[in-house]
Amino acid sequence: MSLIDQLDQIGQDARKAADEAGDAEALARTQSAVLGRKGSLTQLLRSLGKLDPQQRAQAGQAANQLKAELAELFAARRQQLLAESDRRQQDQSVWFDPTTPAPVRQIGSVHPVTAVQFEIEDIFTRLGFTIETGPEMDTEYYNFDALNTPSTHPARDMQDTFWLTNGMLLRTQTSAVQVRAMEKFGPPLRVVVPGRCFRAETVDASHNNTFHQLEGLVVDRSISIANLIATMKLLLREVFGRDLPVRLRPGFFPFVEPGFELDMTCQICDGAGCKTCSRTGWIEMLPCGMVHPNVLRAGKVDPQEYTGFAFGLGLTRLAMMKYGISDIRTLTSPDLRGLNRPELLYGPTIIERS
Amino acid sequence: MLISLNWLRDFVDLPAELDPHELAERLTMVTAEVESVEQIAVEAAGLLAAEVLSCRPISGTRQLWRTEVSTGRQQFVTVTAAEGLATGQRLLYAPPGAQLPGIGNVGRSTVADHKSEGMIVPGEAVGITQATQQAVFLPPSVQVGSIVDRADLADWVIEIDNKAITHRPDLWGHYGIAREVAAIYGLPLKPYQAFITPLEQMEDSALPQIPLVIDDPDKCPRYSGLLIDGLVSQPSPLRMQARLSHVGLRPIDLIVDLTNYVMAELAQPMHAFDGHQVDRIEVAVAKSGERFTTLDGLERVMPAGALMIQSARRNVAVAGIMGGSESEVTSATTRILLESANFEPVTIRRCASALGHRTEASARFEKSLDPANTVLGIARFVELAKAELPDLRMASTLSDCYPKKPHPVSVEVDLEFVDRFVGRHIERRRVCQILESLEFELTPTGDRKIRVSVPSFRATRDISMDADVIEEVARFVGYENIEPRLPAVELRRFEPNPLHRLERRSLEMLCGALGFAEIQSYIWYDASWLSVLGFAPGPCLTLRNPPASGLDVLRQTLAPDLLRSAERNRHHLERFGLVELGSVFLPAGADGRKTDLERRHLGLAFVLRGSGKDEDKCLEQIKAAVEVWAHQVLDRPAGFVAPSGESRWLWQHANKTAEVVIADKPVGYVTVVPDPLKGRIHQHLRRWSIALAELCLDGLLELPPIESHLPPVPSHPQVQLDFSILADADRSFVQIADLMKRFKHPLLRRLGFLGSYHSPSLPPGTRSLTLRAWIGHPQRTLTEDDRHQFEAAFTQFLAKNDLPLRS
Repeated sequence: MSLIDQLDQIGQDARKAADEAGDAEALARTQSAVLGRKGSLTQLLRSLGKLDPQQRAQAGQAANQLKAELAELFAARRQQLLAESDRRQQDQSVWFDPTTPAPVRQIGSVHPVTAVQFEIEDIFTRLGFTIETGPEMDTEYYNFDALNTPSTHPARDMQDTFWLTNGMLLRTQTSAVQVRAMEKFGPPLRVVVPGRCFRAETVDASHNNTFHQLEGLVVDRSISIANLIATMKLLLREVFGRDLPVRLRPGFFPFVEPGFELDMTCQICDGAGCKTCSRTGWIEMLPCGMVHPNVLRAGKVDPQEYTGFAFGLGLTRLAMMKYGISDIRTLTSPDLRGLNRPELLYGPTIIERS
Repeated sequence: MLISLNWLRDFVDLPAELDPHELAERLTMVTAEVESVEQIAVEAAGLLAAEVLSCRPISGTRQLWRTEVSTGRQQFVTVTAAEGLATGQRLLYAPPGAQLPGIGNVGRSTVADHKSEGMIVPGEAVGITQATQQAVFLPPSVQVGSIVDRADLADWVIEIDNKAITHRPDLWGHYGIAREVAAIYGLPLKPYQAFITPLEQMEDSALPQIPLVIDDPDKCPRYSGLLIDGLVSQPSPLRMQARLSHVGLRPIDLIVDLTNYVMAELAQPMHAFDGHQVDRIEVAVAKSGERFTTLDGLERVMPAGALMIQSARRNVAVAGIMGGSESEVTSATTRILLESANFEPVTIRRCASALGHRTEASARFEKSLDPANTVLGIARFVELAKAELPDLRMASTLSDCYPKKPHPVSVEVDLEFVDRFVGRHIERRRVCQILESLEFELTPTGDRKIRVSVPSFRATRDISMDADVIEEVARFVGYENIEPRLPAVELRRFEPNPLHRLERRSLEMLCGALGFAEIQSYIWYDASWLSVLGFAPGPCLTLRNPPASGLDVLRQTLAPDLLRSAERNRHHLERFGLVELGSVFLPAGADGRKTDLERRHLGLAFVLRGSGKDEDKCLEQIKAAVEVWAHQVLDRPAGFVAPSGESRWLWQHANKTAEVVIADKPVGYVTVVPDPLKGRIHQHLRRWSIALAELCLDGLLELPPIESHLPPVPSHPQVQLDFSILADADRSFVQIADLMKRFKHPLLRRLGFLGSYHSPSLPPGTRSLTLRAWIGHPQRTLTEDDRHQFEAAFTQFLAKNDLPLRS
């Protein structure tokens, strides 16, 4: 019998024996008879030394190939035999319903505005922005004067301010942190500032005297209007998950020049015109603009060398849009039911009707 | 601001087929947001000017008059409810066969047993703002029987958002809007000079000057006036009445209408004084507390600094806001002193807001009007008045006191900077064309530089630097024509903000892993809720203008709102955790503070149904949350120590309260809410347990990093031995732990705390503590002997310290 024929024979025998082995022990014995120290294949491999080099190489390759194949075969057959025997040893008559949920437990949740805030923070962090904070009780200087809004400015009347008896105020806008951020970091600068703002407005379903904004500020050499548009488009794409048509039109805010309103296609009617967008097809989303040179100067930044843009995103409004909250007061209510999907409060839901 | 399309067409030849919505869209994109576009479609036909021949009330009715009218060739009898009719008046009449909106064909009928032919047209039927049922009176210049041109009545009205033009005084009149519209459509703007006759051409040099004195030129940079004779009280032309109505100004009478018309056209407010009452002018600052009756009949107290118009030092008007009742024009007025002035905006704004009375005039003066317009306004008034009043003549020369002329404004613009700032190239030709269409004058000052002279109507506030000029160029180029491009920025390091990091990680951990639900409350207390709690907050920061009474005190703790939320949510949840992270406000003075402070607090509440033992479980939950939070977020343990004095807050339990110590600093407390307080909130709440924690984050921002050397994994097995000991209940965990530290044994690797147990089954006055000792040897496996020997040594140590094993 040639060597190759011998190998074929060993292979055939081993496969048959592995198939016939009834349990892991029997298989181990079979394996040892072929691949063990005194196994048939091992011995055959040893005898190869006597062959002339050309034959040796050819036969050696075939023998090693068979050895690898059989090792794999035995390992697979072993797992199969173990699994069968493991299953036989388990009591399958025990009642079990795989579909029952785990019992009710506390799940926990951040506030909808916080959830949106974190999401936006992450978007800007990915763009290399840093995140800053500022006080809710602030000075007239940071909230108005430093923002090119001296007491003689008509815009001071546009925002009804809560004043404290100590002469300070509750910030009316996160823009109050613009000059603080410039003082802290100096240019170049990329920063977003989430935070709570306060305006003495009459409270109703769509207005609250307490709300969240997220301010953005970029100051660098040669920042342009084109840069502002691209950044705002990117922001909206990240938030809404797709490219949205936007339009930029003039808007007036004392601390930017020029100032813009950035509108995006109404998400309710997809631009066709509906009640939400006052039939215009557009939703006012982001007041923004190029940082006014006086604001840069207030932040000790040289407007000859640097330009910048700033924007204010209404986090509260975004949260209302995202979660379909129609009454803004829900967000400052102590009632958790307005802030959470029911299953977060009560656990698995079977029927849910509003 | 309401803009009439008909009016704009006076100044720009807009195509007849222009879609007003398209115009509105382009105004929104280039100039200012348009809020609405409304068509005034007057579906009327066959209306005539008629003269009243007679008018008498119909007996037995209260409001009906039998009126005879003439349309020249024909006479009609009509029954009308219109008031104030008198023989000789001219008015708008719909003869039988005419059509009126909402009525259709006007015919003949019988009203209150009287025959009635056609009808006297009520103002509201043709878009003229009048009192209900008021007839539309026409001036004597109208020929009786003439057909009314419907084109004067039908119009489109565009409403511009006032907030979008606060910085643009020029846009508060139709001519300014027309200038923008002309530039948008590339059409010529008719020069305003074409709408006036220069006053010099009408003046007689023999006429006197009006004596004008301005006390404080800073507050009144210019005052122009003219005395005019030959006035008659009469209705304005129909077209003027219609336009005023369309832009929200009610037509009253020719003189008043003319001042309003010029204001709506040129943005120059004007006032007509009765010329017999007022023939000299002084502009002076009011004495504080001075009283003055305005022409609406109200006596008002003048605020400090109010600017007054006086005549012979007698107040006749509040400058820029409203005239006085004594000097107002009446139906008998034949001579007026026409005021056209320029006032300092802040003075006017402060006075109007102090009086609580903003008028069309003051709204415009607040915006820094162009002083060049005062004389233009007078000339335009005269031009329009002349057409209606043949006897009109000037009774003074144009009197103009102009002590404070503004400096001309010019800005040098670098076209390379324009390209860089906008982010695209704009041809020099295009830049020039845009600016010239807006009446800027340009002088080249270099290859890429232009000196831009700002016209007076843009120079008062609006345009003073290159960014302002660039905006003009960019908005006409169109922002949609700027290719978006992300900024090329310089990378740099930003010092991280530890507060933000701490806050975000805290919320993510507490809400994400520990099951707390976040709430966000108002930062002011609600006095009525505090009263329920019985909590008197003591010295606090307060609002000068709170949102409502009882909401004026800023919170110095988050606990009241957590309690409110606990009460609200227990009705639908049996077991829940609440977290709020927010600002609290601490006044100077208290606790030795030198200044008022804002602090960031983390408040936690754990609420569950059940009292007694459940209360301890509830407290354990909060303690566990604080411990896990401290490890996860601050990378260090939280310790609990006995509070150093009487409990400070009403919601702190008299003895179940612990101070929280992190990094050797007291940062807050944990407690359970005592029964009586729960009972005050709601009787049923006594059956619930509420545990609270409130921690101040500000002291935890700059903690040094902890050195954490992880111990090597023992190479030989260790043995765990548990010891349950009995301790006097008045020995605290911290005391016992300190004592344990004195126990030394070569095999002891770690001694830890497993739990504390307190029960009536234990000897009175004691509790049980379970400790776990880990013993081991670095070089060998322990023997049974090792273990016995350790147990003996440790038990002996415990006994010596009065901590016997619980058998």
